[in-house]
Amino acid sequence: MKMMFQIGILFLVCLAGHAVSSLLPFPVPGTVIAMIFLFLLLLFKLVKADHMKPLSDFLLKNMAFFFVPAGVNILANLDLVKDKVFALIAVVVLTTVLTFGATALTVQGVIKLQDRLFGSKKKDGEKV
Amino acid sequence: MNEIFASPYFGVFLSILTYEIGVWIQKRTRSAAANPLLISVVLCILTLVLGRIPLDSYKNGGDIISAFLGPATAVLAISIFSRLDLLKKYFFPIFLGTVVGSLVSVASVYFLCKAFGLDDVLTKSMLPKSVTTPFAMAISENIGGLPAVTVAAVVLTGILGNVLAPLLIRLFRVKNPIAAGVAIGTSSHAVGTSKAIEIGETEGAMSGIAIAMSGIVTVVISIFL
Repeated sequence: MKMMFQIGILFLVCLAGHAVSSLLPFPVPGTVIAMIFLFLLLLFKLVKADHMKPLSDFLLKNMAFFFVPAGVNILANLDLVKDKVFALIAVVVLTTVLTFGATALTVQGVIKLQDRLFGSKKKDGEKV
Repeated sequence: MNEIFASPYFGVFLSILTYEIGVWIQKRTRSAAANPLLISVVLCILTLVLGRIPLDSYKNGGDIISAFLGPATAVLAISIFSRLDLLKKYFFPIFLGTVVGSLVSVASVYFLCKAFGLDDVLTKSMLPKSVTTPFAMAISENIGGLPAVTVAAVVLTGILGNVLAPLLIRLFRVKNPIAAGVAIGTSSHAVGTSKAIEIGETEGAMSGIAIAMSGIVTVVISIFL
């Protein structure tokens, strides 16, 4: 599918996500709703993943780059936290490591438990 | 001269140039610490500060790049869809992992802020720091934090997750790619996810799921704060 058409579909999905987000009474970002919409479009075969591939490959491969301006923008808020900067960085570092560890070990542990209890072979046969 | 810097081409060019320098350094050193995103952000900030270029001038171009963040995150749906079988089979461990991770994140931020003697407003601004910016800003506002501080903490967390992810996988001996992906997404949202994509397809997809799940779980947690 033509690149322009893929961009059109993706931006339309994002627009719909933002529209729904602004109507919801609780905070769910438009981007997350757009992600769910695109997932549903794929699930109901209204959009084929292969058709979006050139665009999605480009965006996903360069995703880190798109965060550069957000990082530079820290400069704007630096004076708000100037004298607390080291404490804040320490909190960010420690909590990120703790969160990573707790999540990884939980998922890994529960997957092992689930595979042992229900047997991974049998479940594999269900959905191929 | 300032008119040149105020052109949107300046911000876009500076970002691409510094990012490519980062990619080059990473290829040369093959080290996780030589992270293109981190290098680019530091070089951009140095350029602006040393060149006395107003941040607003840079933002004229920066905003164009940021406009791609939404679509780049939404497109994660395609990676998630390609791992639908794993998501179905391991939905419970993935969901439980994001719940435990989000609880640990909020609780550890709270206690560490207290330990470092940070005041109430700063603590509240830091609580949602592990979830993606729009989630975090809304939560921060609701519980009485400063959204501007929250955004800085969120971005810092993301960049840190992006830099540390390969190291943390080794440190915690994470063998399972699903566990690694969910942990990256839960601890460092979309910025970390961009590293998860580089590590592997399964890691990227699981990290993408974790962005949405941990965000929603943290919103629910924030109701009780």
